[in-house]
Amino acid sequence: MSLRIGIPRALYYYRYFPLWKTFFEELGFEVIVSRPSHRGLVEQGFKFADDDTCIPIKMAFSHTLNIKDQVDFLFIPRLLSVEPRTCCCPRLAGLPEMLKYSIPNMPAILDPYVDERYRDSHLFHSLFRMASELGKRSREVKEAYRKGEKDYHVFRERMERGEKVPDLFPKGERESPLPQKKIALVGHPYCLYDPYFNFNLIKILEDAHVSLFLQEMVSRKDIETEIRPLRKDIYWSSGKEILGASLYYLRSKKVDGLIYLTCFACGVDSMIEPLVRHKIGENGGIFYLCLMIDEHTDPAGVQTRLEAFLETMERRKDHWRKE
Amino acid sequence: MRLTVPHLGHLDIFLGAMSRKIGPEFIFPPKTSSRTLQLGVKYSPESTCLPFKFILGNFIEALEKGADTIAMISDHGPCRVGMYDVVMQQILKDLGFQFDWITMDDTHILRDYLIRFNRERKRWGVSFWDSLEAIRFSWKKVKVSEFIERMAHKIRPLEMKRGETTRVQTDSMTLIDDASDFRALEEVQQRCREKFDRIEKDESRNPLKVLITGEGYMVINPHANQDIERRLGEMGVEVTRTVWFTSQITYALRLDCLNPRSKRSAIKASRPYLRHNIGGECNASIGYPILYKRDGYEGVIQLLPIGCMLEAVAKNLLVRVSHEHDIPVLTFSLSENLSETMITTRLSAFVDLLQKRREKRRRNR
Repeated sequence: MSLRIGIPRALYYYRYFPLWKTFFEELGFEVIVSRPSHRGLVEQGFKFADDDTCIPIKMAFSHTLNIKDQVDFLFIPRLLSVEPRTCCCPRLAGLPEMLKYSIPNMPAILDPYVDERYRDSHLFHSLFRMASELGKRSREVKEAYRKGEKDYHVFRERMERGEKVPDLFPKGERESPLPQKKIALVGHPYCLYDPYFNFNLIKILEDAHVSLFLQEMVSRKDIETEIRPLRKDIYWSSGKEILGASLYYLRSKKVDGLIYLTCFACGVDSMIEPLVRHKIGENGGIFYLCLMIDEHTDPAGVQTRLEAFLETMERRKDHWRKE
Repeated sequence: MRLTVPHLGHLDIFLGAMSRKIGPEFIFPPKTSSRTLQLGVKYSPESTCLPFKFILGNFIEALEKGADTIAMISDHGPCRVGMYDVVMQQILKDLGFQFDWITMDDTHILRDYLIRFNRERKRWGVSFWDSLEAIRFSWKKVKVSEFIERMAHKIRPLEMKRGETTRVQTDSMTLIDDASDFRALEEVQQRCREKFDRIEKDESRNPLKVLITGEGYMVINPHANQDIERRLGEMGVEVTRTVWFTSQITYALRLDCLNPRSKRSAIKASRPYLRHNIGGECNASIGYPILYKRDGYEGVIQLLPIGCMLEAVAKNLLVRVSHEHDIPVLTFSLSENLSETMITTRLSAFVDLLQKRREKRRRNR
C-alpha cells in the first residue's frame, strides 16, 4: 500500500497545489486533500489555534484536523521565501511547529525548508531532500518535480489568461451574459479562492453581472514595472504582487473598480492597503472597496457592502455621464 | 539640520550625548504621552501595530516642535518595520509637514553608517578621534543608565517605602544625562550607587523572579508596556528584561559571542522548538525563558503588540516551552485600548500563582 500524504486545503495550497499534487502522485504517494471549508470543519480548528493569529492560519489548523487521522504524513512546507529577494509572512515559517505543538496526536510532518534567497534551499533542493529521506531514487524525484513544475506553469498561464481553473472555481462554469461593470479583485490567494472564507464573493459578483479581473491575470513583468518607480523594496512576495497588480489596474484603466479583500490581523495587508488606498486617492478614476473579513463577519454584512459598492458605482457613472 | 528620532529605550541618551560633543543638533520628541498615542492612533491605518502608532505620534510631535529631518531604521522583512518608512512618509506628507527623511537600512548597516558618519563628520569639521571618543562616551553613558536600571530592578522589591527606588532612579537618570565627561560620569555612577545603598531595605524578603520577554519595542519602552517593570517591582517581584539597548546593538554587530545571556545564545536555545531563525525577537522570546529558568527565574511575561506577525508564533510555542520547562508564562497582547486595571489585575493574579507554586514546592520538599 502506498503511503498517504495529507495536504491541508489552506494558505498556499491555493497557489501551489498543482505542483504539490503532481509531485507526490508521480512519486507514487496517495495524496489526500482536506475537504473544502465548511462551517463545522472550520470552527473545530479555532479551538486549537491561538487567538493572536489571523484567520487563514486558524483555517490551516482546521484543515489539518480534518485529515490528520487519515494520513501517514502531513505536508506542511516551511515557506520562508518563494521568490528571489522576497520573503513570506513569518507565520508561515513557524506553522509546522505551531501545528505540531498545538494539536494532539499529530502524524509525522514533512516540512521542507523553502527559501529561494539561498541556492541550497530552493524549492527543488528542499523537495529533493525530503523525497530522498522517504526513500525515493533521485531520477524519480527529478522527473516528478519536472512534471509538477510543468503543471504549475500551465496553471499559472491559464490563470493569467483569465480562465476559470476548475479547482479554484468549482461553480464558475456559467459566464454572466452581459458584464456591465469591470472590477479587479486583489488579495492573498487564500482569501480570494476560499469560498467559505469570503462568503462566495466571486459568485456574488458574477451574479451581479460583473466581469472580474483577478490579481493573477497581471503578469510578473507588469508587476515589476509597476513596483520599480516606488523606489522601495517591497519585501513580501504576496504584498508585492497585490500592490503591483493594484497599481497596474489603476494605471491601465482596464477596470472601473477595485476590491481589496483582506483578513483581520494580517500584517502584510496592514502596510500594503494604505499604499493602495493612497495611490487610488491620488490618481482617482476608479472606485475602491476594502473588505476586511474576520471571524464574526456574516454573509449579510458582506452582501450589503458589496451591493452598496456596486450601486454607488452605477450612480456615480450616471452622474458623470450627465455632466 | 534638526534631526529627530523616535523614543526607543535609551536612544535619546546615546544620541543626546553624542550631539552635545560633536553635533548634529537633535530635537527629541516630547516624552511619549497619551497625546502621542492619540495622535498616532488618529492618523495611522487602523490595523497597524502599536509601535507604528507610537512612533508616528512621536514624529508628529517632533515636527511640531521644529524638527526638519527624520531618521528611522528599516529592514528587509519579514517584520513590518521595514515598511514603516513609506507609509509614515505618506501620512506625514498628507498632514502637510515639510521634512527630509533618512532611512537607515540594515543590510549594510555598518558600512552605511560609517560612510554617512564620515561624511557628516567632515561636514561638521570634527576630527576622527573626537568622534570616536564621543561614541565611546555615549556608549558608556548608556551602559551606566542600564546599570542603574538593573540596580533598580533588584532593589525595588526590597524597598520599605514604596516609590523610593523609582524616585532615586529618576534622579540618577537626570544626573547621568548632565554628566559631560568620563570623570563626571564615573563620579555620577559612584553617587548613584551610594544613593541606592541608602534606600531602606528589608533584606529578609526573598522576592520572586520574573523575566519580561517579547517584542523589542514593547519590552524596552516603559510607555508602551504601562511601566510593567515598576508595577511588578512594587508587587515585590524582581524583574529583568531580555531586550536592552546595548544588547541589541552588540547582537547586530556580532560582538556578543562571549555573553552567555546574549540574544545569540537564546536563539540557539530555541532550536528544539523552532528549527529556523525566522527573524525579529521571535526565536529569542522562546529561547530566553529556557536560559533564565536555569538561573532560577520562576515566571515569564511575554509582551506583544496585537497582530504582531512574529510574536504570535512565539506565543504559540511558548505554551509548549512552559509545559516542558515547568515555567508559567503570561502573555499580554497590547493594543491602544490599554487599561491600567486590566494590567494590574492580571499581574497580581500571576504573582499570586507564582507565590502558591513556591509554597507548594516548599511543602513538598
